[in-house]
Amino acid sequence: MDPGERFRRSAPRRLAEQVESIAQGVAQRVIDLVVESLDMNALIARIDLNVVLGRVDLNKVVDRIDLNQIVDQLDVNRLMARVDINQIVSQIDIEALVKNTDLGAIMVSSSSSLATEAVDQGRSHAVSMDDTLARWVSRIRHNHAGRAEPPELPNTPEEP
Amino acid sequence: MTAPADADADLLEPVPGNVGVSQPVPLGGSPQPHVPVSTEETENLRGQHAGFASRFIAFIVDCAVSIGVFMLVLGAASFAASVLTGSSIHWSRANTWVVVAFFAWEFFYYAYFWTASGKTPGMVLLGVQVVGQDGSSVGTKRGLLRTLAFPLSFLLLGLGFLGILLGRDRRALHDVIADTAVVYCWDAREARLRSLAREGSNRQP
Repeated sequence: MDPGERFRRSAPRRLAEQVESIAQGVAQRVIDLVVESLDMNALIARIDLNVVLGRVDLNKVVDRIDLNQIVDQLDVNRLMARVDINQIVSQIDIEALVKNTDLGAIMVSSSSSLATEAVDQGRSHAVSMDDTLARWVSRIRHNHAGRAEPPELPNTPEEP
Repeated sequence: MTAPADADADLLEPVPGNVGVSQPVPLGGSPQPHVPVSTEETENLRGQHAGFASRFIAFIVDCAVSIGVFMLVLGAASFAASVLTGSSIHWSRANTWVVVAFFAWEFFYYAYFWTASGKTPGMVLLGVQVVGQDGSSVGTKRGLLRTLAFPLSFLLLGLGFLGILLGRDRRALHDVIADTAVVYCWDAREARLRSLAREGSNRQP
């Protein structure tokens, strides 16, 4: 082919490439300016997330998540250090737990006996009598003052 | 009889509050349902000054135990004498030696248990314990002093025990003399949980 002819054909192509390059630069700049000027919070506030979430198939999303991988990356010790176990335990109704679960049966089989039951009852009634007597005496004396501060107990094992 | 381990002078955390127990701690096994007392009350029982009834019942139990053991020993001695010598011995309350032996035995009984652990068998049964007024263990000196002063409360026509009923810290005369106090040492909350456990296990098939 004639070299002049080749030049004539390639000139428009090169021009088109230059224009395209300029257009891309302009478009990129425009997008940057638009994004910078956008108030994302206001934009999110205008989006009805319920509608968005309604269109999301969460099962598919969950299927795509490898939970094992996430758990492997968790520092459980660090996580547990941030958990207030005492607060959690304090929210548990221990009495209901003992009363309504097998834990009660385990406790009964491990610690309870007829003798223990009798001793518990005897002590309970004795305490009841103590209190009744104290109330009588208090009524007779018209004394509503509280008892003295209890002493601290020595560190001896508790009675069963 | 084995000696209970001597209690340390170490102290527990101070027992919070001073709430009296206004109702019996509900326990299982009774045909009628108990009215549950609040957890606060049952938790605060341990370390409270023990009342007259608990102490009196403990004393009755101790009397029964100590006199029973004494009678057993006399009976065993009488049996041994009859086997060895062929003639039986009849013990009489008028016999001075028997009386002396009886009081010596009673002294030993209370002194031993109070100095060793602060708890006689009767007190163990009722869940009460003798401690120092400051909460420390009784120790030998205070235990012996308490045992020596104990008869004084009787000798004053029982007036020595009035402090248990009328005093704020429920101390008898011998407690004041020996600088001791008697407190509850049983875990009422544990007993309550046991009761609930029994109740729950009875209901479950």
